[in-house]
Amino acid sequence: MSREADETSRRSFLKTAGGATVATASITSLAGCGGGGDDTEADDGGGDDTQTEADSGGGGGDTQTLRYGRGAHSSTLDPQNTTSGEVAKVTNQAYEGLIAFEPGEAALTESLATDWSVDGQSVSVTLREDVTFHDGTDFTADDFIATYRRFVDEEYEYYFEDASVYGPFTLGSWIDSIDAPGDYELSITLTQEYAPFLRNLAMFTAVVVSQDAIEGDTDLDEAMVGTGPFELETLDNSNNRIQLTAFDDYWGDAPNIDEVLFLTRGQNSTRAQALVEEELDIIDGLDPDSMQIVDGSDTAETRTATGINIGYMAFNLSRVEAFRDRRVRRAVSLAINTQTIVENIYSGIATQADQPIPPALFGHNEDISPYEHDPEQAQSLLEEAGYGDGFSFTLTTFQNPRGYNPAPLPTAETIRSNLQQVGIEVEIDDRQFSDYLTYTSEGRHDATLAGWFTDNADPDNFCYALMHPQVESPEGQDWIDWGTEGFNTGNNAAWANAEFMDLVDQAQQVSDEGERAELYQEASQIAHDEAPWVYIDYADEVRGVSTGVSNYVVAAIGGPYLKQVEVE
Amino acid sequence: MVSKQFLVKRLLLLFPVLFGVATVVFAILHLSPGDPAVTIAGERASQEFINEVRGDLGLDDPLWQQYVRFLGDVAAFDFGQSYQIQRGTPVSQILANRLPITIELALLGEVAGLLFGLPLGILSAVRQDTLTDHLTRVGALSGISIPIYWSGPLLILLFAQFLGLLPTSGRIGSAYFVETQTGFILVDTLLAGNVAAFRSAVVHLALPVVVLGIYQMALISRMMRSSMVEVIRQDYMRTARAKGQGEKITIMKHGLRNAFIPVITVIGIQFGSLLGGAVLTETVFEINGIGTLLVDAISRSDYPVVQATVLVFAVLYTLVNLGVDVTYSVLDPRIEQ
Repeated sequence: MSREADETSRRSFLKTAGGATVATASITSLAGCGGGGDDTEADDGGGDDTQTEADSGGGGGDTQTLRYGRGAHSSTLDPQNTTSGEVAKVTNQAYEGLIAFEPGEAALTESLATDWSVDGQSVSVTLREDVTFHDGTDFTADDFIATYRRFVDEEYEYYFEDASVYGPFTLGSWIDSIDAPGDYELSITLTQEYAPFLRNLAMFTAVVVSQDAIEGDTDLDEAMVGTGPFELETLDNSNNRIQLTAFDDYWGDAPNIDEVLFLTRGQNSTRAQALVEEELDIIDGLDPDSMQIVDGSDTAETRTATGINIGYMAFNLSRVEAFRDRRVRRAVSLAINTQTIVENIYSGIATQADQPIPPALFGHNEDISPYEHDPEQAQSLLEEAGYGDGFSFTLTTFQNPRGYNPAPLPTAETIRSNLQQVGIEVEIDDRQFSDYLTYTSEGRHDATLAGWFTDNADPDNFCYALMHPQVESPEGQDWIDWGTEGFNTGNNAAWANAEFMDLVDQAQQVSDEGERAELYQEASQIAHDEAPWVYIDYADEVRGVSTGVSNYVVAAIGGPYLKQVEVE
Repeated sequence: MVSKQFLVKRLLLLFPVLFGVATVVFAILHLSPGDPAVTIAGERASQEFINEVRGDLGLDDPLWQQYVRFLGDVAAFDFGQSYQIQRGTPVSQILANRLPITIELALLGEVAGLLFGLPLGILSAVRQDTLTDHLTRVGALSGISIPIYWSGPLLILLFAQFLGLLPTSGRIGSAYFVETQTGFILVDTLLAGNVAAFRSAVVHLALPVVVLGIYQMALISRMMRSSMVEVIRQDYMRTARAKGQGEKITIMKHGLRNAFIPVITVIGIQFGSLLGGAVLTETVFEINGIGTLLVDAISRSDYPVVQATVLVFAVLYTLVNLGVDVTYSVLDPRIEQ
């Protein structure tokens, strides 16, 4: 850097320090924004400056920009290369699936499919016509087939070697074959009757990619060729930001905004501050402290929606003999004051949990209520089970906050002190998340704090994914050895209750939602009574939204829905 | 002048150094807890899928095989692909994008340190034991004593949050998109002829550069002062004065050049720690250089990125020190290798 430039820096510094308002400058974003002359009013003096808005001086276009602030940048733009929700926030703007979630609800709605029907193992889908991809090609059934094959079919020339686990998890394990009887018709045969299948089609990872892009030389880690309302303008990995612009040939209603910027602010408080100072329009990932910053301002507010997630502590029945006794598990559930954890530690941004299925989903059993904090009853249950003198175990936890557990270490500390009162000694074993995942997936924990965000807003995604061993349950016991071949390590309690498993298996194969709900309610009651987990919380979805933003719906699944958002 | 033999010898020494660094990094990564395959596969993955990922990455091979393969790849300048940070992107490409960001920051920090440190050091030496000297020395001592992770947030609090004058993070305003040509944001904005973007970049870089510069300034001024104090007392300085040469010329011409040698050493050694400081500064100010890259890569078990980044740090450090040695002999031809 030259002396001259440094002089400029100091001059600039002194100028701003002097309180002078820095000149307004018109710039044209080099990245295009076709149509020429998107005039941008920039105030260099205040923080992360730019307030993009109409240039009152007339001239160029009237660019409406929405700045979405988040905690981490996308590690890829390829929805088949990730399980990260952070990636989905961006890909959901550019890609669409056959089916979508209603904004802010768990119900399904049309997207690239206009009609569908399920008959046993056969699924028929009618596709929308006159839909264009961002690369100008028309959307047909072949695009879906190419997308599907790229994800799961190793025979396919363009099979994606690095495909994420969602390939088999959501589609591959359930689809036997796909045919296209016509350009706009799909006929899918499933490997078994599987009720959650349609919901899997609505997941961010099942979106349709242009066949031309798949079979051409497009690098889908850095480009998005979908049919969504926004298309990629700039991927700026050097500055952790992504610029999307409205797609002119979108089949549906055009977005209300011209441009979306995904900006990264790693620290929650910095992000909240940036929102308050009107450098961002919407932010996510708020903790109680950053919520206070937002709520204390008159430029932004927090908005919440019931989340579709759960935070819990799982007993490892495969490892700790004491936990194989239901009375011990219930005693621990009674001894831990989850109400205090939720109200005091999570500062009210969560509700107390009582069963595996969150309240926003069908199948949630309204008749169940959380275990009351009752150390005396806990003590008597322990005595009854022969553990009156107590015992000890290690509680494994991740260190950093996660959506379903905003404060893992204080949670673990509370559990430790609560259980001390009934004679149970707890040693806390906190680990970095990647280490935690490795450790618990190998079943080395005695008990672990854990949690889950829904993938597809289906109760099966909680009951089957987290509480079902996915192998035969051993005769006469309700737990399974961790080393059993094919065991679902997502079931970190190693719980294998035959009655529960039977209900969940049945619910997978019934298509009527009312009937499924009854089966899950029954399964939930068993999961509550048997207590393989201490149910801690269902966390709210919290967003910080600028007062200038309207029509924004906080969604627990899918989204963020930015197409209909308006910015003042 | 520097002999070719010396340069070749020093450059050859780079290889054992890099070999050592590569081995240590490899060992530490593989000894530390956490399995990249689990991190990549994610919470949803079955054990079978995790094993598949592990197999694809060669992580289930014996450690010595992984080590030999790693060394072979490094020798061919193949650092592999990122596991997590930018999935599937060659690490060399990521580094090429990130390195200029850190170098720009470190250079600006160094320039800021020199710009303020040298005059202050000289002033302090010339006016030894006066109030100016005392104030400068106290200032320098404070500058050295304050760690970046404390001064950074403090300055953010003051200038960004309290006074609202400077941005808290990043290196350019969100609305400015400028084509990357050199990777140096100040240069790129100028090349694009975008004055507003340039100004935005300057404002954004001001705080991080000041934070990095404070420490450099403090160190340089202290070193310059003590070196200058010593030189001022030398016989040749007295002779110069005795010959009737003006004080200013004596100090600037005879004093400065000789006093500079130990300062150069400090600048050289400190440039290395400046890179280390950049790790902290980048983290505090959320600037996306190789410092934050390294921190992210470690926390996400992105082995290829960690290995390559540490090697790049080692190369930079070694080359800077070589540069320092070369500069010595230019400044003082008596220093022979």
